[in-house]
Amino acid sequence: MEFETQTIVRMCAYTGGGIAMGLGAVGAAIGEGYTASEANLAVSRSPKISGDIFKNMLVGQAVAESASIFALVIAILMLFLDIQTAHVLKASALFGAGLCIGFGAIGAGIGSGFPGGQACAGISRQPAAASQLTTNMLIGSAVCQTPAIFSMVVALMLIFIDFSNAPLYPTWAALIGAGLSTGMAAIGSGYGGGLAAGASCEGIARQPNSVGNVTTTMLVGQAVSQTPSIFGLLVSFILLFKTFPQSGALSASMALLGAGLCMGLGGIGPGIGNGMAAEGAVKWVARNMNHAGELMRTMLVGQAVSQSTAIYAMVVSLVLIFVI
Amino acid sequence: MGELGLIKQLIIPVWGHNIVLNLNVIGMTWIVIVFLIVFGIFSRWKKGIIPKPMQVMGELFVAQFYSLTEDAMDKEMAKTYGPLVCALFMFLLISNWLGIIPMLDEPTKDLNTPLSLGLMGFVIAHYAGIKSKGFKAYAKEYFQPIFFMAPLNIIGEISKIVSISFRLFGNIMGGSIIILVVSYLTYSLVLPPFLNVFFSLFVGTIQAFVFTMLTVVYISVQVK
Amino acid sequence: MAIEGVDIVKAAAFIGAGLSMGLGAIGPGVGEGMVAAKACEAIGKNPREAGLLTRTMLVGQAVSESTGIYSLVVALLLLFVV
Repeated sequence: MEFETQTIVRMCAYTGGGIAMGLGAVGAAIGEGYTASEANLAVSRSPKISGDIFKNMLVGQAVAESASIFALVIAILMLFLDIQTAHVLKASALFGAGLCIGFGAIGAGIGSGFPGGQACAGISRQPAAASQLTTNMLIGSAVCQTPAIFSMVVALMLIFIDFSNAPLYPTWAALIGAGLSTGMAAIGSGYGGGLAAGASCEGIARQPNSVGNVTTTMLVGQAVSQTPSIFGLLVSFILLFKTFPQSGALSASMALLGAGLCMGLGGIGPGIGNGMAAEGAVKWVARNMNHAGELMRTMLVGQAVSQSTAIYAMVVSLVLIFVI
Repeated sequence: MGELGLIKQLIIPVWGHNIVLNLNVIGMTWIVIVFLIVFGIFSRWKKGIIPKPMQVMGELFVAQFYSLTEDAMDKEMAKTYGPLVCALFMFLLISNWLGIIPMLDEPTKDLNTPLSLGLMGFVIAHYAGIKSKGFKAYAKEYFQPIFFMAPLNIIGEISKIVSISFRLFGNIMGGSIIILVVSYLTYSLVLPPFLNVFFSLFVGTIQAFVFTMLTVVYISVQVK
Repeated sequence: MAIEGVDIVKAAAFIGAGLSMGLGAIGPGVGEGMVAAKACEAIGKNPREAGLLTRTMLVGQAVSESTGIYSLVVALLLLFVV
C-alpha cells in the first residue's frame, strides 16, 4: 500500500492536533476544578461576599485556561493550515509540535489553578485584602504560564520552519525529540510554579502586610523553578537547528530521540521539587516576615541542589547529541 | 535567524590537536574585569566617614557577603574566604548583566567560563577540607558507609562541578536563545526588552547568587 | 535500509540511557524539593538554628541525590561501555 507524501503529512497533522488538544485539556480542567472547589468552600464560609469570590474565581479560571487555549490554537492551526511542503520531515515535525504543546499545557494548567483557589479561600478569610490577593494571583498564575509559552514557541517553530533541506534519517527523530524535550520538561516547572503562587496567596490572606516580601519570594522561587524548562528549551533548540549528517543507522535516530526523552522526563521531577521548596519558603515568609532573607537563601540553596538531577539529564542529552 | 548558528560553535572539541581560543569570550571577560577594577578604584576614591555613593555600594557588597560567609562558616574561615566569595559574586553579576548592552555577550554564555569557575570552587573547597581536617580524616569520608562506596562517592563529588557549572551555562544560554528566537518571531517588536530585563537582570542576578552560595556551601560542607 | 544486530543493540542502549537518566531524575528532584520545603518550614519556626538546619538539609539532599547519581552512572555506562 503506497501513500503520497502529502497524505502522510496530513495524517500526522491531524494526529498531532488531536494529541495537542487532548493532552492540553487535562491540566486546565484539573486546575479550574480546584479553583472552583476552593471557591465553593469559600462561599460556604462567608456567603455575604459571594460576589467578590465569584468574580475572583472567574478571573482566576480565565488565566488558568490560557495554557489550554494555547493548545487549542496549535490544534486549530494544524487542522486547517494548508501545508504545502510535501516532505516526510514535515510530518514528524507536526507530530512533535502536537506532543510539545500537549504535554506543555498540563503542568501550567494544573499549577495556575492553585493561586486561583487559594485567592478565593483568602478572600473569604480576609475580605479587606481582596484586591491585593487578586493582583498577586494574576502575577503568580501569569508567571507559571511561562513553560506553556515556551512549548507554544517550540510548537510554532516546528510547524512553520521549513526542514526540507535536512537529511530525513536522523532528523525525523530530532524533531520529535525537540517536541518531547520542551513539552515534558514544562510539566514540572508549570506545576511547581503553581505551588509557589498558591502558597503566596494563602500567605497574603494570613498576613496582608507581608505582601511585598511574599511576592518577591514567590517570583524568585518561580524563576528558579523554571530552570528545568529552560534546559528543555535549550535542548530543543539544539535539536531543531543543528544539522545532523545523514545516516541510515537506527542508532543515530534513537540517540536524538533519547536525548529529547531524557531532558523531557528529567525536567519533571526537579521542576515539581523546586516548586515544593518555593512553596515552603513562601508559606513561612508570610508567617515569619522578619527572617525573609534567611528563608529565601535556604530556598535558593535547596532549589539549586534539587535541580542537579535535571542538570545531569541535560548533560546526558548533550552527550547523546554531540558526542555520539 | 543566522545568529542561531552560533549554537554549533558552543561545544568545541577541546581535546583536538589545535587549541581553540574563544577570542570573543576572552574579550568580554576582560571588559568585566576592567569594569570591576574601575569600580573598585572609584569606591575607594576619597573614602571618608561620610561616604560617596560608590563607597556605599562597595561597602554594601562587602558587608553583605562577609555576613553570608560568616553564617555558613565560622569567623576565622570567613576572613580567609570572604574576599573570594565577594569577588566571585561581583564577577558573575557583571558577566550576566553584560548581555543587556547591544553588541556585547555574556562571558558565562560559553561553557568554559562557568566550568573553570566551578573547578576553581571545587579545588578550593577540597583544599580547605584537607587543611582543616587533615588528609586522613578527609580521605576517610570517601569510604563512609562501606568501603566499596568509594567510586560512587567520588563520582558524586565530581558531579557537583558538572551541576554547578551547567546550571549557570544552561540558564544564561537558554535565556539568550529565547531572546533571539522571540525577537525573530516578533520582528523585535514589544516583547524583547521585557525578556531582556527578565533573563539578563532577574535570572542573571539569581543565578549569580546561587552560584556564589553553592560555592560557599561546598566549602563549608568540606570544612565541617 | 537494512537494520543490523549491532545497530539495534546500540539504538536500544541510547534510548535506555535517555530513559535511565530521565526517569531517574524524577524521584530525587521531588524528594530533594520536599527536604528543602521542610527545611524552610523549620527555619521559619526556629530561625536561630538556621545554620544547623541548612547543613542538615544539604546532607539529606546529598543522600537522596545518590539514586540520581546511580542513574547518571548507568546512563554513562550505557553510552560509552555497552
